[in-house]
Amino acid sequence: MSSIPWPFPDARGFLAGLGRRGRDRVRRWARKRQGADPKTTTLSPGRVYILPTGVGLVFGLMTFAMLLGSMNYNNNLSFVLTFLLVGVGFVAMHQCQRNLVGLDVTFAGAEPVFAGQAIRYRVAVTNHSKSTRYGIRLYTDAAGSEVQDLAPGESRIFVLALRSEQRGWQRLERFGISTLFPFELFRAWAWLHMDMRGLAYPALVDDAPPPPPTMTARGHRQHDARGEEDFAGLRRYHEGDSPRHVAWKAFARSGQMLSKQFAGADTSSQWFDYEQLRGMDLERRLSVLTRWIVDADRSLEDYGLRIPGAEFAPAHGASHRRRCLEALALFGPGTA
Amino acid sequence: MARPRGTDGSLLASLPWTLAALFVSIAPHVPYLPPWITAAFLACAGWRYVIERQRRALPSPWLRAALALGCFLGVLATYSSISGVGPGSALLTIMAALKLLETRRRRDQFVLLFLSIFLVMSALLREQYLWSVPYMLVSVLVIMTAWLRMPAGEVQTARQSFATGTRLLAYAVPLALVMWLFFPRISTPFWAVPIDTSRAAAGLSETMSPGDISSLSMSDAVAFRVSFDGPVPHPRDRYWRGLVLTQFNGRTWSGREPGRDPGARDQIEVSGDPIDYTITLEPTRQQWLFALDMPTEWSFGREAFMGPQQQLARATPIDQRIIYRVRSYPDFRVGTELRSLYRRWYSGLPEDSNPRTADLARQMRLAAGSDRAFVDAVLDMLHEQPFFYTLEPPPLGSNPVDRFLFDTRRGFCEHYASAFSVLLRSVGIPTRIVLGYQGGEINPLGGHLIVRQSDAHAWTEVWFEGAGWVRVDPTAAVAPERVEIGTRDAVLEGVGEGWGFSAPSRLVQQVTMAWDAINARWNEWILGYGPDTQNAFMKWLGMHEPTWRKMLLTLVVLVVALIMAISLVLMFRYQPPEKDEAARLYARFVTRTGLQPRTGETARRFARRVRATGALPMSTVHAVTDAYMDARYGGDEEARERLRQAVRAMT
Repeated sequence: MSSIPWPFPDARGFLAGLGRRGRDRVRRWARKRQGADPKTTTLSPGRVYILPTGVGLVFGLMTFAMLLGSMNYNNNLSFVLTFLLVGVGFVAMHQCQRNLVGLDVTFAGAEPVFAGQAIRYRVAVTNHSKSTRYGIRLYTDAAGSEVQDLAPGESRIFVLALRSEQRGWQRLERFGISTLFPFELFRAWAWLHMDMRGLAYPALVDDAPPPPPTMTARGHRQHDARGEEDFAGLRRYHEGDSPRHVAWKAFARSGQMLSKQFAGADTSSQWFDYEQLRGMDLERRLSVLTRWIVDADRSLEDYGLRIPGAEFAPAHGASHRRRCLEALALFGPGTA
Repeated sequence: MARPRGTDGSLLASLPWTLAALFVSIAPHVPYLPPWITAAFLACAGWRYVIERQRRALPSPWLRAALALGCFLGVLATYSSISGVGPGSALLTIMAALKLLETRRRRDQFVLLFLSIFLVMSALLREQYLWSVPYMLVSVLVIMTAWLRMPAGEVQTARQSFATGTRLLAYAVPLALVMWLFFPRISTPFWAVPIDTSRAAAGLSETMSPGDISSLSMSDAVAFRVSFDGPVPHPRDRYWRGLVLTQFNGRTWSGREPGRDPGARDQIEVSGDPIDYTITLEPTRQQWLFALDMPTEWSFGREAFMGPQQQLARATPIDQRIIYRVRSYPDFRVGTELRSLYRRWYSGLPEDSNPRTADLARQMRLAAGSDRAFVDAVLDMLHEQPFFYTLEPPPLGSNPVDRFLFDTRRGFCEHYASAFSVLLRSVGIPTRIVLGYQGGEINPLGGHLIVRQSDAHAWTEVWFEGAGWVRVDPTAAVAPERVEIGTRDAVLEGVGEGWGFSAPSRLVQQVTMAWDAINARWNEWILGYGPDTQNAFMKWLGMHEPTWRKMLLTLVVLVVALIMAISLVLMFRYQPPEKDEAARLYARFVTRTGLQPRTGETARRFARRVRATGALPMSTVHAVTDAYMDARYGGDEEARERLRQAVRAMT
């Protein structure tokens, strides 16, 4: 006989799906009810939700059993114990909720990362009240911060690290702040919907082709045209650099070959051009450009970036790097 | 197994407190537990602590399973049962010990704390002393502190945890009090589980064999306490009826098992004023309830009943302290109609036992002429001939009544009651022996009467035509002071056979009385807070006809009110300090800009940044910033007004 098919092939998955749908519905309701939050939000009592935890349910069952036992034995002292524990449960519930109410939550920004890395959303939580707030934690579906205590007047940074899947603006639509204090019998939490964005640069690839050779401003290949007027700094030694420019003192100190750079009228510059990278798809091209920029920045070289619709003249420095990488991150339709 | 078995020391902050919680909750059980269980627990606790301290591996699952099986069999062998408070607390202790050996996560520690709560509760089921409540509070506090020391993240200092625990417990106390007072009490248990009260129970012997090696209890242990609604009756009227013995086999008097007799109550005719009183009876493990002669009404409804000889009993053994109310009439007639069948039964004696006694009785009866005169003659004999009251009489061998009446002539109430009854039964007069207590000591501080085990007494009831059963106490004829002032003093002042103790000094006496008064109140009002007391309390509070519905409703209303009050207190505790108006208005401006002031950034710098964004008109930014600075640092009303207007204009 063939086996009778089980009518619910995936009962657990079905239930989980049901749970998820219910949860999503509650979340949408909360979002609608609360609206979007400003960058700094004070947690009001109306938006702190609370439910018993598993431990809390066990505790409830235990006190109920104790109540039955006390009634059975007509024992007034075990009644005292039972009601004391029930009272502690009630107090714990209010204490748990109060542990969150009145906290100031501020989005403190997120440093850009390369796609595939985790964006670290930084959220500052400030306790303006006179009492310590214990066991505060921030969380999303995919990430959780560590648990921290906030002394009176103290402000602490909580980090939510979320993997960025692709380049461009990454949004964190919702995060929660929760506490289990005092006895883990209840969990109080609040949802916050702030405008939280973090930028993901294109992914950083390791197998990029070498960058194009350094060209002079006029498009000629550089040999020894770099001026010697003003010393500008050191860069990694490249084959072809004049031995006269090698910083021998630094070499003796550190064992690393460095060339002296001079800022002159006839500055050499590298152009990283989107159009030059043929035979690759868009994302690959952007990733290669990103790798070049990062490497050039590390070796303190000047570089310029040319992509369709934008051009950044050769330069160096943190803000130049940021501008170029941002342009790459937001390049293309639908990502700006 | 792939799972690591080593400990990482992460429980080091919380484990000592968890151990402390277990120690305080197990300590009250130690006198009752077999020593090997206490030893096993201490060994496991020490072992676990060393494991955590030195980051060793936990014992293997096989070893733990073997230990668990061994301990379980050990408990089974010690108690031959696993239900009841005794084996229950032994099992809980063993479970805690073994759980310690596999505790590696917080979840396991929750189990340990739940176990310790159950241990605290089972200790309360067993003993309810005055100090049990403060000890329970301390135990709960230690458990709560241990609980607070478990969180995953940062952990408070032990002192902080203790302070938090104390504060939360303090909030919970009024809630507990309200729930305790108003939670409706019911009198019938759902199911009967034996409570191990082996140390506490002390009842009367249910048979009486005067002549065997025996001595009367001189125990000071309290049998019961009585609060009278009116004045306390005179000592010679304080006969506390217990059980009744009706059959004699030549050596031993015995009675019947407690049994319901619906007709017994109807045999009683009363007159005069009743005496109403409340008795707090210590556990006896027997069913008998004690009451003054002659009880007509009593608590417990159908749970308690009257037996055929007007003895009161409860359907289940009294293994906990109980409180009941009784109404008795000192003027009563009982059993005036006694059928001849019963007359013969109540005067039955075994053949050929105590022949000299039977001869003496027949002679005296002939000389007396009537039953009443005969009874008086017997009492006169006991009074005038050299009979002595002593608590350590010589043993009597066979035909104990003969030997007592004609040879030794030394004995206590049982000997006199037995000899007296045998004399009367020998000439066909129905007699029965009542066992109970006589007398009692008034506590001048509490106003109640203390009846001790040493007040146990035996007396007789004689049936006369027309009068029914009449109480006759032959001991009173021999040692009237026994009835007037109590056993101990009777012994001290009476025969004076050199007892090894002297009367306690006045001070000791007073301290003892004060302690007894406190305990009496404790028993009556706290431990004995049951359906009756609760009802009375509700009426005193002004509740008309208290029902469980009304009480539950009151409970809910009061609990909700208290919780709201606690919530207010918490709100106050967690309130941020009031921002002044200028700061609030400025905060609205800041929100509006979409920027966030940096730490240490002045209002002017911030204004410069806002200007750069162009989010708000420059004039507004300036107006608000200037007014804010003036209002904040100058603080005059004019600047505040300017700020108000500027912020209003912005929106």
